[in-house]
Amino acid sequence: MKKKYQKLSDNSYSFVLTIPATLLTVVFIIVPIIQSLIMSFQKYGVKNIISGKPGTWNNFRNYTKLFESNQIPEAAYHTIWFVLFVIMFQFLIGMALALVLNKEFKGSRFFRSIMMTPWVVPTVISGLIWMWLFQPQYGFTKYFISILSFGQVTDLAILNNPRTALGGIAVAALWKQIPLTTLLLLAGLQNVPKSTLEAATIDGAGAIRRFFSIIIPYLAPVIKITISMAIIENFKQFPLFWTMTGGGPNGSTTNFAILSYREAFVSMNLGSGAAVTTMWMIMMIVIVGLYQKYFKVQDLS
Amino acid sequence: MRKILSVMLVVLACSATLFASGEKESGENGKTILKVANYALLESGYEQFWKDVEINFEADNPNVDIQWVTAPYGEIMNQVINMAGGGDKVDAIFSEIDWIPGFEDAGLAAPINDILPQSFLDDLYPDVMKAFEIDNKAYGVPLYISPYVLYYNKALFEKAGLDPNMPPKTYDEMLEMAKELSELKDSNGNKVYAFGQTTASVPVSGSSVNAMIFNFGGSVLDDNGNLSVDNKGFKDAISMLKKLDDYSYNPQNAKLKDLRNLFALEQLAMYYDQSWGFNGIQSINPDARNFAASAAPLTGGNGSGQSLLQSHCFILVDNGDARKDALSKFVQYVISADVLGDYLANLTPAYPAIKSMEGMEAIDNNPVLKGAAASASNVKAQPFIPQLKDINLELCTLAQAVTVGDEDVASAISDFKKRAQSKLSE
Repeated sequence: MKKKYQKLSDNSYSFVLTIPATLLTVVFIIVPIIQSLIMSFQKYGVKNIISGKPGTWNNFRNYTKLFESNQIPEAAYHTIWFVLFVIMFQFLIGMALALVLNKEFKGSRFFRSIMMTPWVVPTVISGLIWMWLFQPQYGFTKYFISILSFGQVTDLAILNNPRTALGGIAVAALWKQIPLTTLLLLAGLQNVPKSTLEAATIDGAGAIRRFFSIIIPYLAPVIKITISMAIIENFKQFPLFWTMTGGGPNGSTTNFAILSYREAFVSMNLGSGAAVTTMWMIMMIVIVGLYQKYFKVQDLS
Repeated sequence: MRKILSVMLVVLACSATLFASGEKESGENGKTILKVANYALLESGYEQFWKDVEINFEADNPNVDIQWVTAPYGEIMNQVINMAGGGDKVDAIFSEIDWIPGFEDAGLAAPINDILPQSFLDDLYPDVMKAFEIDNKAYGVPLYISPYVLYYNKALFEKAGLDPNMPPKTYDEMLEMAKELSELKDSNGNKVYAFGQTTASVPVSGSSVNAMIFNFGGSVLDDNGNLSVDNKGFKDAISMLKKLDDYSYNPQNAKLKDLRNLFALEQLAMYYDQSWGFNGIQSINPDARNFAASAAPLTGGNGSGQSLLQSHCFILVDNGDARKDALSKFVQYVISADVLGDYLANLTPAYPAIKSMEGMEAIDNNPVLKGAAASASNVKAQPFIPQLKDINLELCTLAQAVTVGDEDVASAISDFKKRAQSKLSE
């Protein structure tokens, strides 16, 4: 009887301890999501915020309008293109750097420290730095390309060209995010057992074989986390887009984040902004879900 | 015991989270607090003026305490709305004329004749005040006004073999002069752009494109606020933007501040700006007064060079009698010859909006603005609709489509119509 009472007491105690976290999750995450979902089906403007009056049902107009004007498909395309481009290069460059920095050489510690600098710089500042580097009249990139091309290319304007603007922002994102990827992969690499690598070498496995058959399987959990973080980070990327192009030129860099901000806080149509956010959230859940499902981690323990 | 203590701690934390609240604001010693939202305090060149306004007004009115609400230009509207949503309404917003319909639609802007005395309202130019009206009530009180003026660099004109005292009057003349001007290089060998028209993705750029459409005698909205773009002037203006881009005369996708920068660095021969943009030029290059001059907006197609009225104004909020009274005093204090006289003559070239400042020598003969003096009366107001900001942004997208997007004018206009109509139907 005493044991049963003790178990009940422990359960109640555990339950009480989870209350603050549950409360915070419900108040600051669940309720706003539900509120946003409801708002996305309503005509809801600034007047409603100020007067405190509820929005009015507008018959899916927020969604149909965004699809009719092609804004959602375009934003989805720009978002996915950006996420895939950045993640691919982030992983390849990050892995290459991690492999280099995993070797002990003179100055390797210094390089490991200095490499983190871009990650420490606030994202808005990174955007401003790259905007000035890409500036079409007096930016460094224009000058640099002009020298590299022996004066053949003198009017490079990466952010002003709808075909290159998204790539320009991706370069800024890579500069900012590669250090963290490298750091995480480097930490993973240092946990690959040296004895296993040595045994493989003795058995005649070459560097490529060792990389794909030993290093990658051991790194898989770290890679999975690193890529998950990168997907989320780039899916919700706003400051770089807003600072560098504001969604232009000609809408070529309008991703979900920019579209929702413009609808909600520039056009002051919060219902429409909520509709974009809902579509954005659904797409992110699907992509992260698929990634988690198909990226299997082999248990090597 | 430890369990009980930790449970109590949890209960305390939850209570603090749920019942935390801000404190009520009240003025010191019974002073009336006047909250004025003003982005200009964060912009170089304006900060000292507004701080002096605060000090001098409070000295004259010891019972009023001015509290500035600041945020960058692009964020001030959201700041004011967020505050109002939380029940904390500002009393006045220093704003662009284009912001009026948004604040009126949000239920924040009050008709100015509810707050200001008739004697002061009578001093405002009636023709100007028409541009601030929604349903025959004015919702903004102008500090000063201006059309988009054409700033040009006299030194570059001379260098190109052109008469620095004969700026272009029509778009055709401008294109002729642009041929010579675009051949120039600055002292560092950088290209000199002949003509600047802002087209970046910000509402003020759309408003400037709208002014250009008026230059050609075109329209964007009719008097009832409906879309009205099937006119020659609209098409001519957009075609001109494409032509300027094809000849590389216009810096692509530039914001007004980019054009001011280029003009200050003598890499831009002429460009359209609000008259007060000169302050931005001067803060980059203090010698700009030596080479900058202004001219009336250009005439194109069947148009008469009409432009869009621009203004910095106060939007007023009704926060009860005590604050209304203090607000009325504040507005009348700022919009007066004593406060604005030097400001308009030396800091921000523009035209006064009150009759009692008529004939002020320093303003009328401002060397920078003199060339554009006649243009102040050749302006047209855009009908106020809540979606004005959206329409301006769509105009930017249209301008970008025919320039950096390389689209043909007809299909770009067709896309613009669809998007603009969709915004107007909301």
